[in-house]
Amino acid sequence: MESIKLRKITSVWILAVFVLFIVSIVLGILMRLNQGEIIKQNSVTFYTNMTTHGLTMIGIWFVAGMAAINYLMERYVKTSYTANMIALVLTVIGVLMFWATTFIGKFHAGWTFLYPLPFKVMWATWATPLFLVSLTVLGLGWLIWSISLMTQILRKYSISQAFAWQHFKKNPSVETPPFILISMITLVGVIACLLAAVVLIVLFFAEFFSNGSFVNDALLMKNLTYFFGHTIANEMLYLGLAVIYELFSEVSGTPKWKTTWYVAVAWNCTLIFILTAFFHHLYMDFVQPEGFQIIGQLASYLASLPAAGVTVFSVLIAVYRTKIKWSLTNLLFFIGVAGWVIGGLGAVIDATISNNVVLHNTLWVPAHFHTYNAMGNVLFSIAFFYWFSTQFTENNIKSEKLTMATLTILLIGGIGFLLAFYVGGADSVPRRYSTYPAEFTSAAPLAVIGAIFATIYLIAILIFFFNISKRCLKVLSSPS
Amino acid sequence: MFKGIVLTIIAVWFTLIVNAQTASTGMEEETNIYEKIFDAPLHLSGEQQMTFTALYQQKPILVALIFTRCSGICSPFLLELKDNLQQTDDKSFNILVISFDPRDNLEDMNNMAQKFGLENDPQWIFAVTDSIEQLNQSIGFYPIWDNETGQFDHDALLVGVNIEGYITKKLIGIRKKHDLDLLISSVNNVFSPTYRLPNKNSLFSCFNYDPKTGKNTPGLGLLFIALPAVLTVLMLVSISYFVRNKSQRMDRPYSE
Amino acid sequence: MQQSSILLLFLALAVIGVIVFTYVYLSSKKVEQSEQGMANPQKKRFWFLLILFVILGIFASVTIPKSPYFLFAKETPAKTIHVASMQFAFFLSEHAIDPENLSGESIELPANELVEFRVTSLDVNHGFAIYDESNRLITQTQAMPGYVNRLRYKFTEPGTYNIFCLEYCGMAHQIMRSSFIVK
Repeated sequence: MESIKLRKITSVWILAVFVLFIVSIVLGILMRLNQGEIIKQNSVTFYTNMTTHGLTMIGIWFVAGMAAINYLMERYVKTSYTANMIALVLTVIGVLMFWATTFIGKFHAGWTFLYPLPFKVMWATWATPLFLVSLTVLGLGWLIWSISLMTQILRKYSISQAFAWQHFKKNPSVETPPFILISMITLVGVIACLLAAVVLIVLFFAEFFSNGSFVNDALLMKNLTYFFGHTIANEMLYLGLAVIYELFSEVSGTPKWKTTWYVAVAWNCTLIFILTAFFHHLYMDFVQPEGFQIIGQLASYLASLPAAGVTVFSVLIAVYRTKIKWSLTNLLFFIGVAGWVIGGLGAVIDATISNNVVLHNTLWVPAHFHTYNAMGNVLFSIAFFYWFSTQFTENNIKSEKLTMATLTILLIGGIGFLLAFYVGGADSVPRRYSTYPAEFTSAAPLAVIGAIFATIYLIAILIFFFNISKRCLKVLSSPS
Repeated sequence: MFKGIVLTIIAVWFTLIVNAQTASTGMEEETNIYEKIFDAPLHLSGEQQMTFTALYQQKPILVALIFTRCSGICSPFLLELKDNLQQTDDKSFNILVISFDPRDNLEDMNNMAQKFGLENDPQWIFAVTDSIEQLNQSIGFYPIWDNETGQFDHDALLVGVNIEGYITKKLIGIRKKHDLDLLISSVNNVFSPTYRLPNKNSLFSCFNYDPKTGKNTPGLGLLFIALPAVLTVLMLVSISYFVRNKSQRMDRPYSE
Repeated sequence: MQQSSILLLFLALAVIGVIVFTYVYLSSKKVEQSEQGMANPQKKRFWFLLILFVILGIFASVTIPKSPYFLFAKETPAKTIHVASMQFAFFLSEHAIDPENLSGESIELPANELVEFRVTSLDVNHGFAIYDESNRLITQTQAMPGYVNRLRYKFTEPGTYNIFCLEYCGMAHQIMRSSFIVK
């Protein structure tokens, strides 16, 4: 099946993701502590950390999802080790460049770098161009990787097979495995949003090199920013779902999931909804035509139908009154799906224009996306990491009690940390404030609570890290 | 990077054109909005007397401020207005041409109406008033008398007044038909939640608001938003075509 | 208050979600034979989807007309306030604001009458969010360079209202604020 080379590079991805994750969590806790007035950082340090935290998190969970589907895809098609390696090298270079812009250059335009903020230089002058170059490097690496994976799928499956269109009819002659279908749908979305980033960066550079003779339209740039930003944040979660479709039944010891007509229809619909839902980031920009605002709300609503009706429902059916071999892997999958659902509820509420008026850019926004990342996507990926690491080493988790204790710590930490965000959001506390004006009396105490629970969450992550990284290092040091 | 260079060249070229076309300052147009226009007594042609209130209660009005002895902008301004309005054929409002020069009398105004061939058009009303100062004040219009030339130094100003007598929008300078349509929709109380600042270039804008239909039409910028999706589809189709053709030629399965 | 009901709705739905997942998990733990599972899953899936679709449909048709773009669209405002935002301050004026010669003034607004804010930005994107005396966010719009957003609102309660910037705009974003009085 898969080569030892693939095994090793996947281990490298896992170790890199874990280390960067822990650093980013620490940055996040520092931010909450500063908002809680427990520590005192100046605002530039805070916003620099915020920028680093945001883009690093997006980057690592995207590559974690990609590494996972690359590894599993080897079961169906031959994947390119070179593309995987190029992505790894460019990601490392890109991250180092990006960290130089923030930690050395003090670049702090936020990970969304909303035009024209990067051009209002409040940091080292070289930081803006280097930031754009670092994005280009990351984007290039990821684009090569995604296109390579898509190409390998298309070698074996025709376009209609890859999208499982033959399943729309009864009794299809060829079966498209669900993993291939979801990977394909997600890769197409990933490529589209990376291309949006390319257009965005070209427009940025055009203005940068034109010496003021060319000025971009702020509305166009904002649309492109969220086409890229929203979509990639969303797609990385779907990469995790592809892994669930492949592994959930396998580790549970139940029959493998099959592509049916409704799975095919649901995922094809998802592709369309996911590429139009980003309009909900511009609700408060009245300059966007109302038609697009309404498309944003409807697409955000409709995206929940295939997700809830097909994926979530299938997971529930697979578990309901069924004898299952529970392990850390499928427990994490199961909890992650629950976290995804709850984050989705928060998202649908916020994607309602009349609610967005009082929720937009309050803590409600980080509340919902941290829910389906920290309690959803992260768990999907860690489940894969754990499953992967136990493939080549003996499963030496001796006590089920330790597993349960770790999960309990994870849940307590996660729920407490997220509740502080939700309550703050409902209390109109703004997001992205380094310190809070005196009017927001609940904001600082909530930030302290958030920091405490985030630290508890971090403990659970550290336990996973030691457990999994030990085995990944063994994979790396094994003879090739 | 080649793409970037080409785009920059196109962009610079467009910018030059667009910049050449926009001359208005924008700021002055924002004064006195939603304030009531002064209820001046008007002397209309045919010895008619009427108050401003009586006039705007019939239909919304576009007020054009001119003086008949103007050797500068007044004539081209009225001509452009007439041409633009003939294209629209919209009768939902009246146009009041009023002089801000105390020397002008009704006869001067009648002559002017004849000069433009508007003396029999019921939509066009030519008038003078004794309360020029108060009217100017309520609009925020300040012509300056120049002794040397014997002329007023002034802007071409068109003011929209709705049937409640509120100033809804002002246009300074000779403007394109699109701006006039915005003015007309404003006197008819059509609300659009946003507008663009006139002195910024509109290169690559995503949408252009059409005041006549109240809808947004796609702009060049929208192409850029659609571009990533279009490119993805093209890439998908061409990759599929390429790899599948190749595999047929080589006649060997790839699943090994 | 809208926010409180939003939070309650969310918490209620989240708790339901947790109960469902816990129940399903426990049902798997308890089961003895392996072949039980769910009876008629396809039928249940269909009904689940249909109900969800109807609920979302109702929710959309109720909430979309309440979107800010459609509120007070047919009325003439009693007052217009011009807002120019820039790093890191708001300039509010009853008159148009000259970008070359910035000046703001203290603002008093009438209660129970329609007010229009014409919001723009002179540099980067900013947020223009209005908070009432109990520090609740009541309405907002974005300040985008090159565009003017028109936010209409009727204040019912007299008092001092704060304005905060809600779009991250740089190192002093958290102190970018202003206020006005409603009488």
